Amino acid sequence: MSTVTTPIDEHLVAPWVDWQGRLTKGKRHLEAGTYALTEGAIAAGCRCFAGYPITPATDIAEFMSKLLPQVCGYYLQAEDELAGMHMCAGASLGGLKAMTATSGPGYTLMHDAYGWAITNEIPVVVVDAMRVGPISGITGAPGQGEFYVARYCTHGGNIETIVLSPSSVQEAFWLTIDAFNLAERFRTVVTILTDQVVSDMWEDLFIPDDYASLEGDIVVPRRHNLMMPFYPVNDASLDVPPNVIGHGTGVCVSAYTHTEEGYDIESMEAQWAQTYRLINKIRHHRDELTRYEAVGLDDAEVIAVAYGANARTVKTGVLEARRRGVKAGFLRLITLWPFPDELFARDARYLVCELNYDGQLVREVMRAAPEKRRVHFMGKSAELHTVAEVVQALDGLARRGQIPELPYIWTEVR
Amino acid sequence: MNKLAQKYLRPSQIPTKACHGCGIGMIENWLLQAIDELGLKQEDVIFGTGIGCVGRQTFATWGGDNFGATHGRALAIATGLKLAQPDKKYLIVVGDGDAASIGTSHLIHAARRNLGVTVICEDNMGYESTGGQFSPTTPAGYVTNSSPYGMVEPSFDPCDIVKAAGGTFVAESTATQWHQSVKLVKKALQNDGFSFVHIRFPCNENFGAYALGTRDTLKNLEWIYEHTQGRKADGSETDFTWETGIRHDASNSRPEFSKLLRDMNTRVQAKRA
Repeated sequence: MSTVTTPIDEHLVAPWVDWQGRLTKGKRHLEAGTYALTEGAIAAGCRCFAGYPITPATDIAEFMSKLLPQVCGYYLQAEDELAGMHMCAGASLGGLKAMTATSGPGYTLMHDAYGWAITNEIPVVVVDAMRVGPISGITGAPGQGEFYVARYCTHGGNIETIVLSPSSVQEAFWLTIDAFNLAERFRTVVTILTDQVVSDMWEDLFIPDDYASLEGDIVVPRRHNLMMPFYPVNDASLDVPPNVIGHGTGVCVSAYTHTEEGYDIESMEAQWAQTYRLINKIRHHRDELTRYEAVGLDDAEVIAVAYGANARTVKTGVLEARRRGVKAGFLRLITLWPFPDELFARDARYLVCELNYDGQLVREVMRAAPEKRRVHFMGKSAELHTVAEVVQALDGLARRGQIPELPYIWTEVR
Repeated sequence: MNKLAQKYLRPSQIPTKACHGCGIGMIENWLLQAIDELGLKQEDVIFGTGIGCVGRQTFATWGGDNFGATHGRALAIATGLKLAQPDKKYLIVVGDGDAASIGTSHLIHAARRNLGVTVICEDNMGYESTGGQFSPTTPAGYVTNSSPYGMVEPSFDPCDIVKAAGGTFVAESTATQWHQSVKLVKKALQNDGFSFVHIRFPCNENFGAYALGTRDTLKNLEWIYEHTQGRKADGSETDFTWETGIRHDASNSRPEFSKLLRDMNTRVQAKRA
C-alpha cells in the first residue's frame, strides 16, 4: 500500500470556530459532556431548567439544580417529562430562557409540548441523550434511534425542526450556546441530539470567563415582542422577538390554529398562513443553519458519514484508511435537521455509520446523494464502530464496491 | 354585552361558540365579578385554559394575556410561567377532563408545591365537546354515550385530591349558586398559594340529554340544585349529595412555591457573597 503524503483538506463549519479564536480567557476543566451542556446553557442565559431524572441525562439536572440558583435561575423537577417541557415552554413565555434534558423514554413523552412550543414559536432547548432502545433498552449504552423522531417530534405535520448534534465535550459547550441562539432567532424549539457516550465521557473542556460579556456579542439576548402581529402570517422572517406573557400585550397563545392575534380559528386560509411561517422561517434560512465537519472530500471516492460520538471513531478510521492509500473522505453532520442535502452533491460512494440496525440517517443520505445504490449502510447497536471495522469497510468499498461481512454489523436497509 | 364583559373581555371573542343554555359563559361572568370586586385589572391576571368545552369557550375571551394549553397541561405551563412572572394572578379555567383525568398528576403536584394559581374546574361531568362520554367525575351508574349501560367505574371528587395533595384553598360550588361561587372565587384569588374551586354545571346537549333525559336547561340546573340539597322537589332523597362551600381553607398558611425558590436563590447568593 502506498502512503498518501499530500495534506488533507480538513475543515469545520460552525459559529464556534470564530468564538474559540476570540474567547481565550477562561479555565480548563476535565469534565463530562453533561457538565458542558449545563455550562453552555448557563452561558447562553438559560434561567430555567425543568426535567425528570433519566440516565444518561440525569447529571444535567443535577448540575442545573446546583448552578441555576447561583445565577437567579430556577430548577424544577417535574412530575414527568411531559410536564417538564411544558414548564419550560411556560417559563420561556414568561421571559426566561429555558431548557430540558432527557433520553429516549422521556423524549417520546414531550411531543405534545413540542407541538405547543413550535406552533406558538416559543424558544426552548431540548437535550436528548440517546441510548440504545427501543424503550428502556440498555440505559448505559449509546444509540442513535431518535434521528427521525427528533425531526418528527410532534404530530400533525406542517413544521420544520432544527436538530444539532455534538461529538465532543468541548463542542457540547459551544453547541449549546448556539442552540439557544437559534431558538431565539428562529422562535422555535432546538433539539440537541446527543448520545450516552458524549454525555457521560470526560474530556478536556475550556470554559470562558465572564458569561455576562458574551451577551449581545456571542449570546443572542432574549427580546420581547410587545406588539401585534404576535404571529406574523405568510412571513418567513428571522429575528422576530418572542412573544411574552405578563407584559400586558394581550397576547394569546394556544394549541389551536391561530390568527395574527393568536385567536383560535377554524379556517383553511389561516392554517396555510400559519404553516407557511412555521416551515419557511426555517427553510428560507437554511444557510444560517449549516454546521458540519469535513475531511479529505477533495479527492474522496468513498465518504464516511456519521454524527455524534460515533463520528469520533469513524473519523480515525477514515484517516487510517487514507494512510493505507484508500481515497476516503469524512463528513460529520452537526446540523441533522433541516437535512443538509447540499453536502451530498459529490459523486462518490457514501458509507453511513450509525448506531442502530434499522438504518435512519442512511435513508436521508440515499435520498440526497446522486446515486442511491452507491450509498452503503453500516449499522452498529449499543457500541461505537471500531476503527478497524471502518477501515475494512472503506477498503472493501474502494476495492470491490461492497462492505465485507463483519460480525454485529448490519448493512441491509431495505 | 354587560358592563363586566365590557371592562374585562374581548368584544371580538364573545359571545363564545358555546351551545344554547351552556353554563360556561355564566360562570365566566361570575369570575369577572370576583375579579372586579377585588379591584383587579386586566393586566393583573393571566388567564389560562385547557382543552374541551371549557377551554375552547373561554380561551382568548379575557382581555389581558391568555394561554390555551394542550389537554391537561395548563398547570405545567403555569408552573413555568409563575417563576418568570411571579407577581401576576393566575386564573386557570379548565374542565373535568383537564383537571380530573388527563392532567390530574399536574393538579396534584401543583397543589403539593402550593403554586400560586387559582384553578377553576368547571365540571360538566363528562367529555361533552367530543359528544358526551363519561369522565372521572360522572356519577357512577349514569348513562352517557360511552356508558350506554350506566357508568360502571366509581367517580371521585377532585376537591378531595387537591386537599390531600396540599392545596391551601379548596372549595366546591355549582352553577346554581351565584353569590356563593363569587365569594369562593374571591377567597381563592386572595390565597397566595394553590386554590381550587370546583364548579359543576349542566351540559344540556349531552349529559342532560343522555344521563338525565332532558335538554331543558332549567330542569338540568334543578337536578344539580337538588343534589346540593340532598332532596328533590317532591321531598324524596337524592341518590347522592354534593357538599358545597369551603372544603378546606388554609389560605396563606404556607409559602407559595415560586417564593420558596426565590428565597432559596437569595440564601444561595448570600452564602456565596
